[in-house]
Amino acid sequence: MKTFNILPVLLAALIFALASSAFADDGKYEAAMKKNIQAVYQAKSMDEYQQAVNAFDRIALAEKTKWEPHYYSAFGCIMMAAQEKDAAKKDAYLDQAVTAIGKAKAIAAQESEVIALEGFAHMIRVTVDPASRGAQLSPLAMQAFGKASALNPENPRALVLSAQMQFGTAQFFGSSTTEACAVVTRSLEKFNTYKSDNPLAPQWGRSMAEKLKAQCQ
Amino acid sequence: MKTLATIFLSALQTLAFSQATISGQVTDAAGNAVPLANVYLLDTYDGTSADDQGKFSFTTNETGTQVLVAKFIGYREFRQPLTLSGKDITLEVRLQEEVSELNAVTISAGAFTASDESRRTVFRAVDIATTAGATADIAGALNTLPGTQKVGESGRLFVRGGDSNEARTFIDGMLVLDAYSPAAPNTPSRGRFLPFMFKGTSFSTGGYSAEYGQALSSALALDSKDESEITRTDIGILSVGGDLTHTQAWEGGSAAAKVQYTNLRPYMGLINQEIDWKTPPASVQGMGAFRQRVGKQGMVKAYGNFSHSDFSLYNHDIDNYNNKAQYDLANDYRYLNGFYKTALNDNWMVRGGLSYTYMNNDVTLMQDNTRETEKGVHAKAVAEGSLSDQVELRTGVEVINRSYEQVMLPFGGTGTSLGFDETITAAFAETDVYASNKFVTRLGARVEHNNLTDKLSVDPRASLSYKAGSTGQVSLAYGRFRQSPKNQYLQYLNTLGPEQAQHFILNYQRVENNRTFRIETYYKKYENLVKTVDAQLTNLGSGYARGVELFLRDNESVDKLDYWISYSYLDTKRDYLDFPVKAVPTFASKHNFSIVAKYFVQKLKSQLGATYSYASGRPYNDPNSAVFNGGKTPDYQDLSFNWSYLPKPYLIVYLSCTNLPGRNNIFGYEYSTQMNEQGVYNGRPIRQPAPRFLFIGIFITLSKNKSVNQLPTL
Repeated sequence: MKTFNILPVLLAALIFALASSAFADDGKYEAAMKKNIQAVYQAKSMDEYQQAVNAFDRIALAEKTKWEPHYYSAFGCIMMAAQEKDAAKKDAYLDQAVTAIGKAKAIAAQESEVIALEGFAHMIRVTVDPASRGAQLSPLAMQAFGKASALNPENPRALVLSAQMQFGTAQFFGSSTTEACAVVTRSLEKFNTYKSDNPLAPQWGRSMAEKLKAQCQ
Repeated sequence: MKTLATIFLSALQTLAFSQATISGQVTDAAGNAVPLANVYLLDTYDGTSADDQGKFSFTTNETGTQVLVAKFIGYREFRQPLTLSGKDITLEVRLQEEVSELNAVTISAGAFTASDESRRTVFRAVDIATTAGATADIAGALNTLPGTQKVGESGRLFVRGGDSNEARTFIDGMLVLDAYSPAAPNTPSRGRFLPFMFKGTSFSTGGYSAEYGQALSSALALDSKDESEITRTDIGILSVGGDLTHTQAWEGGSAAAKVQYTNLRPYMGLINQEIDWKTPPASVQGMGAFRQRVGKQGMVKAYGNFSHSDFSLYNHDIDNYNNKAQYDLANDYRYLNGFYKTALNDNWMVRGGLSYTYMNNDVTLMQDNTRETEKGVHAKAVAEGSLSDQVELRTGVEVINRSYEQVMLPFGGTGTSLGFDETITAAFAETDVYASNKFVTRLGARVEHNNLTDKLSVDPRASLSYKAGSTGQVSLAYGRFRQSPKNQYLQYLNTLGPEQAQHFILNYQRVENNRTFRIETYYKKYENLVKTVDAQLTNLGSGYARGVELFLRDNESVDKLDYWISYSYLDTKRDYLDFPVKAVPTFASKHNFSIVAKYFVQKLKSQLGATYSYASGRPYNDPNSAVFNGGKTPDYQDLSFNWSYLPKPYLIVYLSCTNLPGRNNIFGYEYSTQMNEQGVYNGRPIRQPAPRFLFIGIFITLSKNKSVNQLPTL
């Protein structure tokens, strides 16, 4: 009898253990992500970015069905590429970013944020060697921003990146920046209104939009 | 019962909280600290970043056998199984440097590689299109690099004392027959393939891979672009014609079609020409390209090109200008190329190709007709991959079949026909061995069987490179090369053996901050060249070429200015064809110098380019002189300009002018075959068809996205 009575307790313990571990895992995932997202947003030095990227890469390896760790790892790499002076190293960081974006796309092919980030990588790639890369990669970047906006018209980052690109092009050709500035205004509106139901959704880009807006006035 | 459950649960908890600390230091093979590596247990959340000194420490609740991974950019992934039992673990992590494109030594002797994809290249794909004086011709742009000789009346590539037919073109590894469009005698011809089709160009002036056969002096390997990612329509309105291209892109593939019509008739009517044209050249060309990704890493490419061109002119007699002979030429060309590549696994790639060339050249000189037809099929399969992290292997087989026929039909006479049907079967293998990131050796060999001579040959190739310091490297290369004689000789004697050359090359290159400097010296020994002995064709000819070449490119010192300087010194002599003695051939000039500059002017939204070329005088044979090839032409000089103006992102206006100062360059002299009454052979200079060539083009790109333009295609 005694042994018989233990069984439900054990089962309950087991279920509780499983449930709590599952719960703990998701909670652990979110907590770890939030901590590192904070870190990557606040990073200033290359070391800080590298540490955040390392953390996202570790999480990505453990969480094979989540696109966010790959996304933020790529974001960190793009930021490092933007800071780096040496052209070859810039490319190496961007290669790493593109690999991570590829993994994120394999998990969430229709995620507007991922597509926008892919365009961002192209955009930084152009800065390495504008003369030989601009003509080929600028349209690819614009195409990515267009696709990101089509997937989610509310995504403010797709808009601000596109505006940045249009602004640069307009300045280069000495043509009117009106169109680019209109896109900036739209992106700022979306920054105010767009709320994703994903707690780990990207939040960056507002200051880029504000700076661009200031240049427009 | 209750106690039992409690015990059980607490046991579970103890198990879960048996925490261990894993710590250590990450170093490279030499023991130097590698900062900021990512260190973690595989498939867990547990891990950390190493600090500035490479030190790391993290805690884990995992137990049993786990895998510790350490990773950092530029190094190979480190993996080590650990048995965790709650005890702390300290370990040393030694990372091995990754042999990668960024830091590895490369084979650089003899090679100029232009690519958009690979980094730190000396020459970029876009450079070919934007070099002043090259008028978007591949050979024209490559003629500004060391190792080439300017032969203005030909327009083709002449490399290191080699004749133009010794420089061969390959598209996606497939040999191209007749890579140049036809041109009137003593006028420059253009390549049939436009630079914008290619994502990479590898121009080798010697010591190239065993993969390339049937090339005696130079291999120009062109890598066609992958699928286009943007649907667009391009329109070109040119001063000499027009073109229209449409590209349709879809996920993983694209198709493009282009038609181009060139007519020099109106232009020749406006600008006085040295040539007495009856009908100046006109041509129509069509091109189609198809790309499709297959599976994860597979790619199918198909490309086709057809063209028809014709012209008619009068040859004036040297002795009596008023005697003229009409020369008519019509040329038809078709080229088809299919290519497939795929990855077998992470380490091995296979690629294969099939190409077909058809060329028909129909020439009528004073009603005597000569028709040349050449058909070629080239099939090839290559496997390449890594045997280990340090050893790469490339091996393949190929069959090159050519059938050539020349039918001569003199006016009122009976026709004679000559020709040959040659099949070359070849196999090659080549291995790159990286002793470290600093030292690489490439060893290879090429085996060929030729059905006409029924002989089997083995040609060794070897290169090695050593990286001296972080920016410089020294390379050595050796190889034996062979190539069937020109059609015009082989048709008379099908059993003529291949001509042969041996290359010895020593190169030093330094690449730093967008600046490149290289110096190269070589010796080339020619054997078995075609030579007429007692009016018989033989393989008894020989020769040599040696020289020193310098190249400097600087994209850094002056803002927005990009320039390169090339200098080649050439010493060459040959005893071949009808040469009575060993002599310098007429296409060889001792000193060649080029400077190419490109400057971007933001205010004008323009790129301005200039090219200055110099070649010292070339020999010519004056039958009135006792010395064979004893004459020397004046120096050749050319200063060309181009201007690309981008008023709108989708519109480019392009203007170029060759030889702006209008220098009257003389390429050589031609002489009458008969003495005049005074016992003298009359002669006259061979000049440029016109001092300058002026070109204006307007290029419009239509696409959904207005920022696309045609600059890379110009």
